[in-house]
Amino acid sequence: MSEAYFPVDPGLGMEENFLSLDDILMSQEKLPGRAESALPRLAFALGQGAGTGDSIPEGSKLEIPLWLAKGLHDSKRRIISVDLPKIYKEAWRTVFSADANVVDLHKMGPYYYGFGSQLLNFDNPENPEIAQTILQTFISRFRRIMDSSQNAYNEDTSALVARLDELERALFRAGQKGLNDFQCWEKGQASQITASSLVQNYGKRKFTDMDG
Amino acid sequence: MEPAEAEFLAEKELVTIVPNFSLDRIHLIGGDLGPFNPGLPVEVPVWLAINLKQRQKCRLIPPEWMDVEKLEEIRDRERKEDTFTPMPSPYYMELTKLLLNYASDNIPKADEIRTLVKDTWDTRIAKLRLSADSFVRQQEAHAKLDNLTLMEINTTGTFLTQALDHMYKLRTNLQPGESARSQDF
Repeated sequence: MSEAYFPVDPGLGMEENFLSLDDILMSQEKLPGRAESALPRLAFALGQGAGTGDSIPEGSKLEIPLWLAKGLHDSKRRIISVDLPKIYKEAWRTVFSADANVVDLHKMGPYYYGFGSQLLNFDNPENPEIAQTILQTFISRFRRIMDSSQNAYNEDTSALVARLDELERALFRAGQKGLNDFQCWEKGQASQITASSLVQNYGKRKFTDMDG
Repeated sequence: MEPAEAEFLAEKELVTIVPNFSLDRIHLIGGDLGPFNPGLPVEVPVWLAINLKQRQKCRLIPPEWMDVEKLEEIRDRERKEDTFTPMPSPYYMELTKLLLNYASDNIPKADEIRTLVKDTWDTRIAKLRLSADSFVRQQEAHAKLDNLTLMEINTTGTFLTQALDHMYKLRTNLQPGESARSQDF
């Protein structure tokens, strides 16, 4: 059924795709930030303080989801300021440039590339370095993904994909599909007609059972 | 595209058969075939050749290149060169599989041919991976792959274009161009 299902893909550029479920999940991730002005009656909504009337004093530390941070961020009116999460900071960028293959991007992400691209919206002075690191990380992990996805045939791939970011996992699946389709064809399984998985799982009685 | 669809296209290639029946010229949408005379070689598309073969109405003559010596030469050349060398047929993999599966009794040294073609394929796929990797590493935007066949492009095509698409977006992240504006009202 996967051929007839067209999910909206993640955007990955500066803009997310509005209807992409992956992008919606990605924009839920929290960003460290700081209130640049007092935010009245918002303490409860942002998870600080118990009363509905409490306000957030200026300068307090916040953990804001990306979508809200994007909405509140404005280069002119200073409502909040946004910090970089630690994996996009210089210390981690050095780790990535040393050897990107050793990093567990699923634990760090799992939307490392998409979230990093969205971070560029906050006019951070380190933007060029961030963009460059994300690109170089992808490039240096490319070979590993390609080789493992196209060599592992009929194997348990969970260990291979455990450390991959969601975007890389989709790429891994594309590589696996190419390999599996070719191997099926070569063995002659492509020409055998089988019942669709939909019919096989069909719970009702079959026509032949009705007489007996 | 699935391998079966590449095979479908490959079945349009012509092969020579020796029929054991007689039939007048037949007029098909894609061209006329025949006439068929017992014992006289005639060129037909692979799909028809296989069908006639299964009905035991013909003997199949393997294509000229499906020969152990020629394939050994092709394999050795493929290993020596850095780029992809021209293949004897744009559907060499598909034809080898089809002809060896349905008419291996008409092809001399079928097992050796199968091994040689598989070796050539493996060499080319390894080469394809190597060049894809250096293509990505150097952040190129275009490449020329003259002698790759459809089946080879097809096995890594989706993967490669998807990866390059991601790379393009990551590279153009900082230049808000027309692509970033497309969702504005």
